[in-house]
Amino acid sequence: MTTHIQPRLTQVFRFVRCSYADGVAELVYGFDHGEELVERVRFPNAPAIPAGHQAAFEQALKLLHLIAGVSYYKAGVPPRIEVVDGPLDATTADLLDALYLHGLAEFAYRNGLDLRGRIAFPRSSSPSPLRGDGRGEGPISPKLNLPARTLVPIGGGKDSLVAVEAIKSISGEATAVWVGNSPLIAACAERTGLPMLNIQRELAPGLFELNRLGAWNGHIPVTAVNSAILAVAAILYGYDSIAFANERSASAATLEYEGQQVNHQWSKGYTFEQLLGDWLHEHVAADLNYCSLLRPYSELAVTRAFARLTPYFDVFSSCNRNFKLLGPKPADRWCGQCPKCHFVFLALAPFLAKPRLLSIFGRNLLDDENLAPGFDALLEYQDHKPFECVGEGAAARAAMYALSQRSEWQEDTLVARFRSEILPQLDVNELALEPWLLPSGEQRIPKRLQPALAFFA
Amino acid sequence: MKFGGTSVATLPRWQNIRELVASRRAEGARVLVVVSALTGITDALKQLCAQEDKGKRIEAAKAIAQRHYELLDHMQLAVPDTLAARLSELAKLADEGPALLGELAWSALVQAHGELMSSALGSAFLSHSGLPTQWVDARDCLAAIALPNQNERTKLLSAMVEAKPDPALNARLAAQGEVFITQGFIARESQGRTVLLGRGGSDTSASYFGALLKAQRVEIWTDVAGMFTANPRQVPSARLLQRLDYEEAQEIASTGAKVLHPRCLSPLREPRVPLLIKDTNRPELEGTLIGPEVREHAPSVKAISARKGITLVSMESVGIWQQVGFLADVFAQFKQHGLSVDMIGSAETNVTVSLDPTENLLDSDALAALASDLAKVCRVKVIAPCAAITLVGRGMRSMLHTLSGVLAEFGQLRVHMISQSSNNLNLTFVVDENVVDELLPHLHELLITAGALRTDDSALFGPSWQALYGTGEVLPPAASGWREERRADLLKLGAEATPRYVYHLPTVRQQARELKSLAAVDRLHYAVKANTHPAILKALAEEGFGFECVSPGELKAVMAVVPESAPLLFTPNFAPKEDYAWALGTRATLSLDSLYQLEQWGELFRGKEVVLRLDLGRGLGHHEKVRTGGSGSKFGLPVEQLDAFLRLADTHGVTVRGLHAHLGSGILDDGHWGEVYSQLASLAERIGSVTFLDIGGGLGVPSHPGEARLDIAALDKVLREVKAAYPHYKLWMEPGRYLVADAGVLLTRVTQTKGKGNGQIRYLGVDTGMNSLIRPALYEAWHEIVNLTRLDEPATALFQVVGPICESGDVLGTDRRLPEPQEGDVVLVAQAGAYGKVMSSPYNLRDEAEEIILD
Repeated sequence: MTTHIQPRLTQVFRFVRCSYADGVAELVYGFDHGEELVERVRFPNAPAIPAGHQAAFEQALKLLHLIAGVSYYKAGVPPRIEVVDGPLDATTADLLDALYLHGLAEFAYRNGLDLRGRIAFPRSSSPSPLRGDGRGEGPISPKLNLPARTLVPIGGGKDSLVAVEAIKSISGEATAVWVGNSPLIAACAERTGLPMLNIQRELAPGLFELNRLGAWNGHIPVTAVNSAILAVAAILYGYDSIAFANERSASAATLEYEGQQVNHQWSKGYTFEQLLGDWLHEHVAADLNYCSLLRPYSELAVTRAFARLTPYFDVFSSCNRNFKLLGPKPADRWCGQCPKCHFVFLALAPFLAKPRLLSIFGRNLLDDENLAPGFDALLEYQDHKPFECVGEGAAARAAMYALSQRSEWQEDTLVARFRSEILPQLDVNELALEPWLLPSGEQRIPKRLQPALAFFA
Repeated sequence: MKFGGTSVATLPRWQNIRELVASRRAEGARVLVVVSALTGITDALKQLCAQEDKGKRIEAAKAIAQRHYELLDHMQLAVPDTLAARLSELAKLADEGPALLGELAWSALVQAHGELMSSALGSAFLSHSGLPTQWVDARDCLAAIALPNQNERTKLLSAMVEAKPDPALNARLAAQGEVFITQGFIARESQGRTVLLGRGGSDTSASYFGALLKAQRVEIWTDVAGMFTANPRQVPSARLLQRLDYEEAQEIASTGAKVLHPRCLSPLREPRVPLLIKDTNRPELEGTLIGPEVREHAPSVKAISARKGITLVSMESVGIWQQVGFLADVFAQFKQHGLSVDMIGSAETNVTVSLDPTENLLDSDALAALASDLAKVCRVKVIAPCAAITLVGRGMRSMLHTLSGVLAEFGQLRVHMISQSSNNLNLTFVVDENVVDELLPHLHELLITAGALRTDDSALFGPSWQALYGTGEVLPPAASGWREERRADLLKLGAEATPRYVYHLPTVRQQARELKSLAAVDRLHYAVKANTHPAILKALAEEGFGFECVSPGELKAVMAVVPESAPLLFTPNFAPKEDYAWALGTRATLSLDSLYQLEQWGELFRGKEVVLRLDLGRGLGHHEKVRTGGSGSKFGLPVEQLDAFLRLADTHGVTVRGLHAHLGSGILDDGHWGEVYSQLASLAERIGSVTFLDIGGGLGVPSHPGEARLDIAALDKVLREVKAAYPHYKLWMEPGRYLVADAGVLLTRVTQTKGKGNGQIRYLGVDTGMNSLIRPALYEAWHEIVNLTRLDEPATALFQVVGPICESGDVLGTDRRLPEPQEGDVVLVAQAGAYGKVMSSPYNLRDEAEEIILD
């Protein structure tokens, strides 16, 4: 950076331009009059954009530009947002306002910022060029007759593997797709046996420089960015559906802070799923469906389904700490210290033979007294819920209660502690596991994929 | 001679078998070859058995036949009648299905065809290639016996044979010829049905035949030269075991070694038939000979093994164990739930048993059901995943005194159970499974160092697995080679005056260049505390090193000799405020390691960039006193205080530019720094301002002859991998001892000798000791000691090498084998380039050692 910009004092964040050629999307941003920040997204073996799909592709690319900007915007959080090629229509501006506000809520909380009233994407006062100012009243984009096949993003954890197996169970055609170069995810994707698509995202090098200069830092709604990348991919390669694996608890707020709901995984929640799904129908293609296949289910129900998928046990990991590295030992995949490790361990325990579960993690997290604070936080005992993608505290309590009733678990340090210290303060009637295994009605899974839900029965 | 599935699957492998058989014939032996089925055929036959559809069974049989036709085709042989008969019988069995014979008997007969066919094929090949070979039906020789505990399944699919020497069979075969081929894995029971021998069946067949024929020897030809002192996948430096007795070998096989099934040794014990394991691809290697003889040699641990996936069931109850029949009831529960108990440990109020990992344990509700039944009579705790670490060796009890260092290692772990068998062959520790991978190589090394695993006895111990099968190129020789080249100079220097430290600068440069070959490392700092001699500082500055200092004194010493451009790091620990204030006025990058520094003196650091030294919560290294991680160590900010530190840093306008962790010294495991880096990187991702990660030093320098060196190429690979995962951070390291240890020696001279205890213990006195080199006394560090004057004389006696200081701890080396010394001999203490002179003291007011530079 030639000028010594101070990220936290910037005034304007600009969406400069975006373009696509030869499988590479270039997304360009800037602060004030600083140097351009250029992000590149690489689509491998990209075919030519199919005839008649050009308009849809451009819409999807534009959305990707707007959504991926969140990684850069957050560096300075300036008071003004500028879109160089003109203001947005109302639905698009609504989507982005919501995403930047809620998707950055945890970031704001951690940094002691208040983004309310600060985020306003420019919107045209004239009616949307596409259709009035209406919203959610049904698709107005044409059908593109996209092929009946599904992009399934793989995350390396259990959820996406369950989604894969559910689609396989109805002989659905699908591709395992992931963004970035995690060897762990690659190993999981390979184990699915599906065709694979690995898209690369290269953050603008200038972002690291901004960080060095004292930029704000923290959690961004990465699922939204990946969703937008997959929307572009769906049009480019030809898929009629993108099936994420976000379960229903992702919609729950992790904490309330000065009157604002803070959800660590807002972009995995149902609100965002609806907003983006509708937007894609309206702006991109009437037959491009964006959904989460696990939406009707709780983490526990998903975990129970996963407990049957033995072939994945030695490759998967939901741990956030050791994510970028891969090794043959359980300790290479599971740090055993983070809330994710704790939750997945606890949620799998009621559904797997104890020695099998312990062989996955390489140790018994419930027999380690040092981990008491972590499990307490999961149970929402003496603490608020930790900021990680985990299920509701009540689900954790149900799982812990189930273990406390089982002889092979009840003498383990933390289970014994639960029985003597925490259980007496709880209402046993609210601790049943079974209700967690029932689906809820909230979902927008397209008709073609509905039969896959039988997999969870 | 027994050959497994891969050894009989291709023409070249059969040619190999032919040659090996011919070589035994040439020695005058009659040979019986025992073969397995072609690779994959047994599995194919099992699948055929599981197939309910007749058409598919017939298809499967055809595919199996095709495999054999193809191999015959390669051999350019017609289908021999014997094989044709087998194939048509298999086709018939596939067609009939299990109805006629019964499921299990049919299945056994179908599976037996794998060996029947491979042996028929082999007979044809060997005969055709000039070794007339008789085909023997193993079922006519091996009679399965009925055992009380057997059900129909075990009777047919994992049968036992009582193999007593049978002179009649011997005579029968002798009448037929010189070379025979038969089947592994199969036998016949009293009703005439074909039965299988179960797991490890082919090796066991070979043993049965060895016993029946009272053979001169049973040879198991496989893909490795034999048994090793540890699993080579876990311990590449494991040594080949060249001689074992039956019991030791059986113990090693039962506790981990996969090369031999433990079952196959017992048939050989009574007839005293030796068993030899050989590598098919490397027949020149000696292999492992297992026999009855216990040779004359000192007791030694033979192997260390680890079995993972062990589950412990601990049962606690007060006072009812004495109740008659209580334990019987408890064990009946295990039987009822199909779980078999391996080890048992008991106390007055607790009985703990171990369960081996089985499908039943891992994937059924058996354990849950067992626990809930047991819970009715006692408190049950299921402890897992555990691993059983077993030391095997005849006469284990007599070795206990040598194991103190090894046992001390267990003192730091959760040991759930210790078991010593009454046959005095093993000692087993059950520990948490996750410690095993790091622990095992370490224990193996400790056993050698402690003299418990007597690898110096070349009759028992062969080359290391690394030397025989290791992939990477041979590691370069240790950096101590200069001592040979400069021996004359060293002798002259020693004769002039002692004590003297001598430093060899070319070795310092060579070590520096080796580290510079680590492409992933962006900056190297020399940790000057190891040796602050100006010539060494200058040499390393010329090599482009930065310098890491821990005190103003060190910083001043460095700044006095290195150019302005050399980067400096200041990493004090519990230093007074003035040190920080002074260092802020220099160009050194400052390192902080506690909340106190920002809480109390925060404004001192306003606007500064600092490195934060973290304690990642564990320590590593060769001695407790050199471990610098973990809450028992005073170094570093505990990770859980990181957020508090960052808030303080924000408050005082301090920028955290780098993260640093250093877990200890003398670490030889290349994977370690990768772990440190990735842990630091995952923490750094939460801190935007960080641009570099400093993973410290602690690069181990082996001290014992033959001890493996740190593999720099492997380290490079590990670092490249982690660097690729986190490319946006610069990678720094701070080696110290690695650069200078081997480059320096301490020269001293013999003063006097003494004998104690009827001359059993001999002392060799030299003119300096702990006042010049305190590492042996402080860390129990092992330094090689050489009588430079008598380098070419045989080392005949054991000495305790001691200095002149009035402390009983003033010992430089214990039990050193050296030539008979004379007063004035020049003695060299090796690896004294690091932490030698810098740690010396004027204690007893003895003259300090002079420092000499060789260039």
